[in-house]
Amino acid sequence: MDLIWQIFLNGIFLGGLYALMALGLALVWGVLNIVNLAHGAFIMLGAYACYYLYTGGHIDPFLALPLAMLIIFALGYLIQRFVLNLIVRSAMFTTLLITFGIDVVLTYMAQIIFTADFKTINPPYAGSNFQLFGATVPYVQMFTFVVALAVTVGLSVFLRRARLGRAIRATAQNLTAARLYGVNPRTLYAITFALGAALAGGAGGLYGMVSQINPYIGAPLTAKSFAIAIIGGLDNPLGVIVGGLFLGLVESFTALYIGPTYTSVASFGILVLVLIIRPTGILGRTA
Amino acid sequence: MRKALPWILPPLVVVILAALPWFASPTIIQFGISTLILATLSQSWNIIGGYTGYASFGNSVFYGLGIYGTAVAMVQFGLPFWVGMLVGGLLSVVFAVLLGLPVLRLRGHYFAIATLALAQVMSAIVSNVQVAGGNQGLVLPLFRGDKMFYELALGLLVLATLTVFWLSRSRFGFGLISIREDEDAAAVMGVNTTYYKVIAFALSGVFTALAGGIHAYWITFVEPESAFDITLNVKMIIMAVFGGPGSVFGPIVGAFVLQSVSEILATKISSLAGLFFGLVIVVAVVFMPKGLIDLRKRIGRLGWRYFTRNVKENRL
Repeated sequence: MDLIWQIFLNGIFLGGLYALMALGLALVWGVLNIVNLAHGAFIMLGAYACYYLYTGGHIDPFLALPLAMLIIFALGYLIQRFVLNLIVRSAMFTTLLITFGIDVVLTYMAQIIFTADFKTINPPYAGSNFQLFGATVPYVQMFTFVVALAVTVGLSVFLRRARLGRAIRATAQNLTAARLYGVNPRTLYAITFALGAALAGGAGGLYGMVSQINPYIGAPLTAKSFAIAIIGGLDNPLGVIVGGLFLGLVESFTALYIGPTYTSVASFGILVLVLIIRPTGILGRTA
Repeated sequence: MRKALPWILPPLVVVILAALPWFASPTIIQFGISTLILATLSQSWNIIGGYTGYASFGNSVFYGLGIYGTAVAMVQFGLPFWVGMLVGGLLSVVFAVLLGLPVLRLRGHYFAIATLALAQVMSAIVSNVQVAGGNQGLVLPLFRGDKMFYELALGLLVLATLTVFWLSRSRFGFGLISIREDEDAAAVMGVNTTYYKVIAFALSGVFTALAGGIHAYWITFVEPESAFDITLNVKMIIMAVFGGPGSVFGPIVGAFVLQSVSEILATKISSLAGLFFGLVIVVAVVFMPKGLIDLRKRIGRLGWRYFTRNVKENRL
C-alpha cells in the first residue's frame, strides 16, 4: 500500500512538471498553428540558463527561474519575428521542417558552447525531504510541482482576463477579425511564440533540478510534450494539466508493474489511441 | 533534341551510375551506397508525403521493420538474404494496412504526430523482444561485396522512381494528388480515399523496408535505437522537400545535393557540420519552399525576384 502511495505521489509530481513542459507547445500550436519541433531545445536552453545563473551568478535556482524565462522569451521573440513569421502561411510540413532546422541549430550551438557533459542544478537543499502519510517527498520535487501548477493556472487566468491574453485567444479564433479589431499580428505572433518558449524555458529550469541536463535532452521531451498536448487538448491550459498528470501517473505505474523499459510504449501507445478515438483530446471540445 | 532530352537523360544517368563501381574508389562506392539508400527512402516518402500530402513521420517504422525483418530471418532462422528482404517487405505491408487504416483517418498535424508516436512505440517494443536481440541488437553474417550492395541500392532506387513516374501519369496517381489538394472534394468525385491512401502508404512502406534490408546486411549490425531513428525520417522529408516534393526527380536531386554537402562539410569542418545542416534547412525552407525542381523551372524567368516572391507569398 505504501509503495502504491509513493508511486502515485511520484507520478503526480512528475506530471506537474510534464504539464508545464507541454503548456508552451499547446499554446503555440493552438494559436499559431505551428507544431514547434524546437520546443525541447527551449526546455534545454532554459535548463542551462538556470544552471549558469545558479553556478555563475549564485542566484537560488527558484529565483533564477524568472530570469531564465526572460532570456528564453527574448530568444523566442526574435525567432518568431524574424524567421517563423516569414513562413507562417506556407504548407504544413514547411513549418515542421523549419522548426526542426531551428532545433538542430540550437542543439549544436548548445553542444559547442556548453559541451556535451551532464550537468545538474544542485541547490544545498537538494537532498532534504519530508514524510507525507508514509511516503517520502523531496522538497525540490514539491516546489517544482507547486511552481509548475502556479504558472499553468496563471497562464489560464492571463489568457482569460488580461487584454493581451484576450488578443491572443481572439487571434487563435479568427486572425482576420482580430486584425480588424486592431491586433497587430506580427507582434502578437512573436509574443505568443515567445511566451511558449519562456514556459518551456521555465520547465527546463525545473527539470534541471530533478534530473540531469545535456544538449540532447530536447528531442524526447518534445515528443512527450506532444503526447500531453494531444491528450489534454489544445484549447485550455487546464486540460494540459490533466494530460500532464495522466502521463506522469501512467509512466510511474508502468515502470513499477510492467517494467521501466515499457514506459514509452505506454505513453506513446496512449497517444496513438487518443488520436484515433478522440483527436481533440480527452477534455477538448469536439470539432 | 530538347524534347527528347527528358527521355534520354535519366537512362543515361542510370547507366553511368551502374558502371561507377568499376572505376571509383571504395570510399566513393560507400558514399554511393548510403546516398542511394537515402535517395530511395526520400523517394518512398515522396509517395505518401509528396503525392498524397500526408506528412508521414512513421516511415522510419517501415525502415526499422525492413531492417529487423531481414536481420531476424537471417540470424535467428538462418534464411538467405533475399528471403529476409521479402519478410521485411511483407511486415511493412501488414503494418501499413493494419495501422494505416485507423491512422490515415487523421489529417494534417495529427497524422504527423500519430505516426511519430508509432515510431516511438515500435522502437520500444522491439528493444523488449528477445528474438530481435533486445537492446543489444543482432549481428548479421559478414558479406564483403560493396559492389553488390551498390547495384542493389541503385536497382531499388530505379524501381521506386519508376513507380513514382507511373504515379505522375496514371489514374491512381491523379487520385492521390486529388486527395492532397482537397480530400473531401476527391471523395465527392468518387475517389475511394481510404483505399488510395492505404495503398500509397503500403507502397511507400515496401520500398522503405527493402532499403532497410539492404542497409542491415551492408552494415551487418542492427539495434533498435538506430533502426527506428526519427531523425532519419526527418532526413527523408528534408531531402524530398529540398528537392521538390510531389515531383519525380526532386527527392533524388535533394538527396544527392544534401548528402554531398554534408559529406564535404563533415570532412572540412566536422564540428560545425551539424550546425550548418540546420541552417541550410532553415534558409532553404524560407527562400525556396517548393524545392530545387521549382527553382530550376522558374529562376530563369524571375531571377532574384524568385526568392523574394516566395517570402512574400508565405509571410504573415
